[in-house]
Amino acid sequence: MSTRQRGLPDRTFGVLLTLPALVLLAAVVLYPLVGSLTTSLFRQSLVLPGRSFAGLDNFRAVLDSEFWPVLRHTLVFTGCCTAIPFVIGFALALALHTRLPGRGLLRGLFLFPWVIPGVVVSFVWMWIFNANYGVLNGILVRLGLVDDPVSWLGRPGTAMFAVIVAKSWASFPWMMVMLLAGLQTVPATLHEAAALDGAGALRRFWHVTLPHLRGIVGIVLLLETIWNFQHFDTIYVLTGGGPAGATTTFAVAVYDTAFKGFDLGRAGAIGALWMVLLTVLVVAYVWASERGRQA
Amino acid sequence: MTLTEARTAPSVTGPPLAARHRPRRPRVLGAAATVAVIGTFAFAPVYWLLVTALTPNSAAFAFPPRLWPREVTLEHFANLADNPALGRYLVNSIVVSLLTAVLTVIVAAYTGYSFAKFRYRGRRSLMYLVLASQMFPQALLLITLYLVFSATGLLNTYLALILSFTTFTLPLCVWMLKGFFDTIPDEMIEAAKVDGAGQGAIIHRILLPVSLPGLVATGLFAFVRGWNDFIFALTLAGPRKQTLPPGLVNTYLGEFQAAWPDLMAASLVVSLPVVLGFVLLQRYLVAGLTSGAVKG
Repeated sequence: MSTRQRGLPDRTFGVLLTLPALVLLAAVVLYPLVGSLTTSLFRQSLVLPGRSFAGLDNFRAVLDSEFWPVLRHTLVFTGCCTAIPFVIGFALALALHTRLPGRGLLRGLFLFPWVIPGVVVSFVWMWIFNANYGVLNGILVRLGLVDDPVSWLGRPGTAMFAVIVAKSWASFPWMMVMLLAGLQTVPATLHEAAALDGAGALRRFWHVTLPHLRGIVGIVLLLETIWNFQHFDTIYVLTGGGPAGATTTFAVAVYDTAFKGFDLGRAGAIGALWMVLLTVLVVAYVWASERGRQA
Repeated sequence: MTLTEARTAPSVTGPPLAARHRPRRPRVLGAAATVAVIGTFAFAPVYWLLVTALTPNSAAFAFPPRLWPREVTLEHFANLADNPALGRYLVNSIVVSLLTAVLTVIVAAYTGYSFAKFRYRGRRSLMYLVLASQMFPQALLLITLYLVFSATGLLNTYLALILSFTTFTLPLCVWMLKGFFDTIPDEMIEAAKVDGAGQGAIIHRILLPVSLPGLVATGLFAFVRGWNDFIFALTLAGPRKQTLPPGLVNTYLGEFQAAWPDLMAASLVVSLPVVLGFVLLQRYLVAGLTSGAVKG
C-alpha cells in the first residue's frame, strides 16, 4: 500500500522534524530571555500591573551601586570553583588512570558528591559549618586551633570560603570523569616510545599526556566557568547571598531583586549586563568545540 | 562531530603500556596517597551526613560532637514518614520529573534524528543554538516565565514546572539522542527505504525500537535533572505543588530551623533515586557528559 513518492523530500522532512523542539525552546527560552532583557528598559513591578518606559535609568542605577561588588563576588566564586575542582579532579584522574586496585569502584563512589541534588550539597555543608554544633568547629576546638567556635556563614570572608568549598566538593567528580575519559585516549604507544627513549614519568606527562589533553582541558574549564558564572542553588541555600551581600553573585542578585524586591526593571538590567559577559563565554565555548571538531 | 564526542569513541589504548616497563610500585603508591587525601575531602562529609541522620538528637546537638557515634537510631527517618507535607513533595517530585522526562524524550527524539541523519543548510547552527539555549541563566528566564504563568493562571500547576524544566532537559536530550542515533548505521535506514517504508515508519518501527536503551538512558538523565531542580520549583509552585528540593528548604530552613538530623535523613532519601539512577547509567555517563549536555 505504500508508495515511495508520497513523502516529502528528505531535506524538508529533516527540517520539519526539528520544529516541535524549536517551537518549545522558542516559547520557554527565547521568548522569556528577550522578555526579561526588555524589562531592563522599564519601571516595572512583579506585583503591580503596568509599566513605564525608563530608558537607561535602571542600568545607571545598577552600575552606580550593586554591579561592581556583585561582579567581584561572581568572579571570585567562578574562578575558585573552576580552578580548585580542576586541580582535584585532574590529580584524581591521574591517580585512577594507574593500576590501582579497585579503581573502577572508586571512580563510581567519587561521583556521589556530584550526583546528589544541589540543595543536599548545601544542607550537608551548612551543617558542617554550623557555628554552634558544627563538626568543623568541633574538630578545630578539640585540636586547639581556635579558642571559640567560628561563625563560618556569619562573616563575609568565611562565608565566601564556605560557599567555594561546598561548590568545589560538588564539581570535582565531573572534572575527574571528563579528564579520565581524555587520559584514556592518549595512545599508549606514544608513552611506550617516550619511555624507551628514557623519558621519566614527569617528562612524559608534560610532553605526551598534556598536549593530547589540551582540547578536553579547554572544554572542561570553559564549561565549568560558564556554569559557575550562573550558579544559584548552592549559594542561595547556604548563605542566601549574605552576610551583608558578601556572597551575592549575579544569579542571586537577579533573583532577589526580582522576587524579593519585586523590582523587575532593575533585575532585568543586572541580568542584561550579566548576559553580555556570559555570551562571551558561550561564544568561546562554541568556537572551541567547532575548532576541536575540525582539528 | 564535536571534539568531545570524538573523544568518547571506544579507545583502543587501555592502561598505559609504559607502566609495564618500569617498577610499578611507586606509581601505585603515589596514586593511593592521592586517592586517600582527596577521598577524605570527598567522603568525610558523606560520613557526617550518615552519622547525623542516624544519631539521636541529644548526641547531634552536643559540642564538640563525637566523631564516632555511640548510639544509632532510625527515629529521624520515622519523623519524615510522619510529616504529610514531605509525602506530598515526594509525589510532586515523582510526577513532575517523570512527565518532564517523557515529554522531553518524545520531542527530542525527532530533533535528534534530524540532526543525526539529515543534511541541510543551517543544521550545525541549529545544533549549537539548541546547545547554547541551556546556558542562558535560569534566574533571568524566570522573570518572564513567572509573569507569563501568572497571567495565564498556570502558577502552582504541574504544567508550569514541566514547561520550565524543559528549558534544561530538552537541549540535554537532543544532544544525547543525536549521539545515540549517530551510531545507528545508515544502511539500516536505506534498506527500509528500499523496502518501501515511509519516513514515519522508519522512525517509529525501526529507529525508535532499535534505540530503546538510548531513549531510556536519556529519559533517566532528564528525570534526574528535573528531580534536582531547585530554582524553578521554588518560584513557580506554592507548597501544594512544590517538589522536594524547595520543599525541604522551606520545611527545615524555615520554621523548624534546628532539626538537623531530620534534615540529614531527608537528604539521604532525596538523594537515593538519583544515586540509583546513576548506578544504572554508569555506562552512558561519559557519553552524556562529554557531549556537553550534562551540567556539572
